[in-house]
Amino acid sequence: MTSLHREPRAIAIGERALAELRELAPSLVFAAIVSDDGFELAHAPQNSIDVGRFGSMTSSVQALSDAVTRELSIGSSGYVVIAAEAGHVLQMRVPGYPLILAALFDTHEMLGKALSSSRRCAERLVALLEPIDFQESPGS
Amino acid sequence: MSEHVILFAGPMGAGKTTAIQSLSEIEMVSTEAANTERHVVDKETTTVALDYGEITIGDDEKVRLYGVPGQRRFDFMWAILKERAKGMVLLVNNDSPDPVARAVEYLGSFTELVESGCAIVGISRRDIARSPGPSDYSAAISAAFPGTLIPVFTVDPRDQAQMTTVLLTLIATLDSRQPVSMQEVAP
Repeated sequence: MTSLHREPRAIAIGERALAELRELAPSLVFAAIVSDDGFELAHAPQNSIDVGRFGSMTSSVQALSDAVTRELSIGSSGYVVIAAEAGHVLQMRVPGYPLILAALFDTHEMLGKALSSSRRCAERLVALLEPIDFQESPGS
Repeated sequence: MSEHVILFAGPMGAGKTTAIQSLSEIEMVSTEAANTERHVVDKETTTVALDYGEITIGDDEKVRLYGVPGQRRFDFMWAILKERAKGMVLLVNNDSPDPVARAVEYLGSFTELVESGCAIVGISRRDIARSPGPSDYSAAISAAFPGTLIPVFTVDPRDQAQMTTVLLTLIATLDSRQPVSMQEVAP
């Protein structure tokens, strides 16, 4: 399951979950779902941000936040927030999958609302991915 | 207490994480993620942000060891960490395609350290691929960076003694390049 980002059914699910996130949060500027090591599964909207770069940075930030929580023995990291003057970046692991959801919201979005929308998106991803056995080929 | 910050750079699979693990006297801080590029380098995990370890040399010289991710898509981490580095150990796996060209290419991303002579090259996995040898690396590096002297060693990153020799050689080079203050030379 480590190469979900190359699995067409997973990519379609990722695109669907991100489309739903955009509907839920109009202040969403950009979002991506990437593998733990930073490769893109899906992103939205298209052609707005260099997703390769964004994905690699997402992977690094997630790994650093995990290293901090491990070092301090405070359990696993729930989410990471980068609050900047012109936007918030929010990222979190997709529970049970080697995937990270990262989303950039503009400052019109309250941080709490951005967090709840992102969480809902991650949960939705899990619900859509769970019924599929990615070890089996689609036709078998 | 004096301090050095040393960077461990080089391609994925060259042994940077292993080298820091061999050297560090504290539990290493690592940022490993599941490797989805098994077709490129067949290992389970890969560093995606940094590795961090520490070693004390002599009575009071602390050396901070930072490993950077090998893949170029993480080069923003290279830029962050090279700002604070005093020296660099570049590790290159000799069984990778065209390792000499890769060594030169990676050195080119750290030109400040290379041109100031604060870098050293370690050739790993030479037990798997004997060729090219250290002289091939030295010739290519001298051609790419004329006027610089970059020592080249064959190393096994798992071997603490070998890695310590490499590190001490680099630190001796760094110390010899420190400006001597007037007080120190005054009679």
